[in-house]
Amino acid sequence: MSGAKEYILLMILVCLPAGGATSQEAATDLKVQTVRIRFDGRLAGKPFACGKLYEGVGTPAVRVTPADLRFFVSNLELIDEKGGATPVALDQDGLWQYKSLALVDLEDGTGECRNGNAAMHAEVTGAVPRGRYTGFRFTVGVPFELDHLDPTEAPSPLNMTAMFWTWQSGYKFIRAEVLVVPSQAFPAAAEAREAQTQISAEGVRSRGFPVHIGSTGCGGATRTNAPPEECAHPNRTVLTLQDFDSVRDVVIFDIGRLLAGSNVTRNTPNTAPGCMSGEDDPDCVPIMKSLGIPFQGAAATPETVFYGERK
Amino acid sequence: MMASLAANLNGKRCLRVSSFLVALAWLFSATPRRSLAGQAPATTVAAAGSTAFQWKKPAWAPTPPVPADNPMSVAKVWLGRRLFYDKRLSVNGTLACASCHQQAKGFTDGQRTHTGVTGEPGFRSAMSLTNVAYLPSYTWANPLITSLEKQMLIPLFSDHPLEMGMAGHEAELAARLAEDTAYAGEFAAAFPNEEARMDVAHVTKAIATFERTLLSFDSPYDRYKHGDANAISAAAKRGEALFFGERLECYHCHDGINFTDNYVAQGIAIAETGFHNTGLYNEDSDGAYKPWDHGLRDVTSRAEDEGAFRTPTLRNIAVTAPYMHDGSLPTLEAVIQQHYAVKGHAALSSRGPNPLRSEFIEGFSITESEVRDLVAFLDSLTDRNFMTNPGFADPAGTPSSSEKRRQHAGD
Repeated sequence: MSGAKEYILLMILVCLPAGGATSQEAATDLKVQTVRIRFDGRLAGKPFACGKLYEGVGTPAVRVTPADLRFFVSNLELIDEKGGATPVALDQDGLWQYKSLALVDLEDGTGECRNGNAAMHAEVTGAVPRGRYTGFRFTVGVPFELDHLDPTEAPSPLNMTAMFWTWQSGYKFIRAEVLVVPSQAFPAAAEAREAQTQISAEGVRSRGFPVHIGSTGCGGATRTNAPPEECAHPNRTVLTLQDFDSVRDVVIFDIGRLLAGSNVTRNTPNTAPGCMSGEDDPDCVPIMKSLGIPFQGAAATPETVFYGERK
Repeated sequence: MMASLAANLNGKRCLRVSSFLVALAWLFSATPRRSLAGQAPATTVAAAGSTAFQWKKPAWAPTPPVPADNPMSVAKVWLGRRLFYDKRLSVNGTLACASCHQQAKGFTDGQRTHTGVTGEPGFRSAMSLTNVAYLPSYTWANPLITSLEKQMLIPLFSDHPLEMGMAGHEAELAARLAEDTAYAGEFAAAFPNEEARMDVAHVTKAIATFERTLLSFDSPYDRYKHGDANAISAAAKRGEALFFGERLECYHCHDGINFTDNYVAQGIAIAETGFHNTGLYNEDSDGAYKPWDHGLRDVTSRAEDEGAFRTPTLRNIAVTAPYMHDGSLPTLEAVIQQHYAVKGHAALSSRGPNPLRSEFIEGFSITESEVRDLVAFLDSLTDRNFMTNPGFADPAGTPSSSEKRRQHAGD
C-alpha cells in the first residue's frame, strides 16, 4: 500500500487543519499512511445516478428513479491479519467529516433528487498508523454522543437539514429514496393506481418509497431534554468487510438490495411513507432485515445492502 | 404556586413527570438569564440607542425562562415577527408559521389538521401559542423537544407529515431571505455580536424570541382573580366551582397559571410535565390509539405511553376549536359531554373506555345548565386583547424597529 502516491497524499492530508499533530510533526512521521475509502451507489445492479431510470426494483419488480442517497458512516476501522482493529483518524474537512463521523452523499441534486444538492462526497479520507490491513469495519449511523446535538448550531455535516430527524431529536442515518415511474410495461400499474387511490383516501403519499433510518424510542426513562441514555432502538449497523483493501476495493450501497423485499408501489395505510423506522410499520420489516437491524422482536440477520467490490 | 413534586401522582395512567434535567439546566443558567430577561444587555442599549426589551405582562405573572444562548431583545422580537409571517419559509412559498397559527384564533387555525405544502394532510391539530414560553416541552407529545427553537424544526424540515418542506433547502432559504433588503439590517440588529448569517440557527432563534412574547394574562378571569369581582358572570363563577371541583376533576391536569400541568418559569426550580391518555380512542380494546399517532409512545417506544399527549393550556380555549390533538371534537360542549363526562370518547364506541386512560378520567354526570356554566368559565379565560394586539400582527406595512429608531434619533 505504500508508495510515492500515498506519500503525496499524506502531504496534502497533513496540510489540512486535522486534529492532533501539526503539519511539521506529521510530515516527518512516516509511520502514518493515508486511507481513502470510496463508496459507490448501485441500483438494480447498475451504477446509481439521479435522473436515471432503473427497471426491476422491489417485489414485484417495477421501474423507479432515485430521489436521494445519503448516509452517515462512523467509527471506521481497518482490521489487520490478526483481527486487530485500528481506528481511522478522519480528515477534519469542515464540511463532510467531523470527529469520527462522515456523511457519504451519492446524490447530485438532479432528476428527482430535489432535496439534494450538486455537491457529492463519495470518498471518506483519513489516516492510520502504517501497517498491513486486510479488512474494514464501520458503523452506518451517527454515534449516540453526536446524534442529539442542537442541529442548528452543530458543525457540518450535522447541520444539513435534509438529514435532520427532528421528531426523535437526532439525524437520519440513511436517506435512500426512489420514486415509482409507471409505464405501459409496468406490470403492477393497475395495482399501483388502485393502491394510490386507496392510500390517498387515507392521506398517505404512495408515489415514492423513502427509506429513512434513524434511532427511535429516544424518550428515555426520565423524559427530559436530550436523551440521557441510548435510544430503545438505536438502528445502527456495524459492518465488517473481510478481505477489503481500500486501494483496490470500493464499498457498495445497493438500493436494489435494500428494497429487494419491498413492494415500492404500495404503502401500508396509516403508516409513514415507505419506511421511516416506525416500529409498527410493516413496510420496515424487509428494509430492516436487509440492513441487518433487529426489528419487531426479530433478531438481526446478516445485512445484504453493503458489500465490498474491486474497483 | 404550582411546582408540586407530585411523585405520588406518577403512574401508568397519569404520567406526571418532573423534569429534573430541565430544572438543573435552568438552575445553572438562572443568573445570566434573569439579568437578560428583564432588560436587554447593556451593550445593546449603548450600541443602538434602542429600547431595552421588557416583558409585557402583569407583575404577578412569572417571567418565562429564556435559553442562555438566545437572550431577548427588541430587535430580535421584530425580526422573529417578520419571519413568523414570511411564506418564504416554506419550500413553495405557500405557508408561513402564521398560516397555521393565526392570531385571531389564539394562534391556531380553526381546522382539524392543516395540509402541508405538497398536499399531504397533517395528523395533528395546530397548537395554541398562548403563553407558549412557559412550556418545558413542545408539540403534542414530545419530551425531547424542549425549546421553541427545536420545535420549529419539525414544521420546517420534517418529512412525515410534510409541512413546510424545507429539508435540504437551507441554502435556498438564506438566498431568498437575502432578497428582502430589509432583512440584512434586521438580522444584524438581532444578532449584533455575531457574524452576519441568515441561517437556520438565526431564523429559529428569532422566531422563538417573538413567540416568547405571546403572553396572555388579560382575560376576564385574570381580572376577576386580581381584584375585579364583577369581571366574570355568575355563570362563569358557577363554572369555576365545577372546574375546580372533585366531581369533574378538570384541574388535576389543567392546573396552575396556564391551566396545564406543563409549566416552567424563572424561579421555578423543577419543571412540571404532564402527558395523559384521556381515553379519546380505544381501537383494539387494549387502549390503542389510531395507528398513525400513538402520542408519547411514538417518541419513547414505551407501551404505557400509548395515547398520552401533553395537556394543552385552556387560556383562549374558546377560540381554538376544534379540540383534542387531532381536532376530532368540534366544540367545548362536545369535549365535556361526549368525552370527559363519559370516561373518554372511546367509551361511546363498541370497544368501551380506554383501559390505559388517566385515573382522573372516570366520567361524571352533568346537567345542561352545568355545561353552560362550565363553558362560561372557559370563555372567561379568553383574552380578547391577545387576539387583536397589533404588536403580534403581521408586520407587513408597519415600520421596522430600526426605522423607528432612526426616526426617534432624528436621522
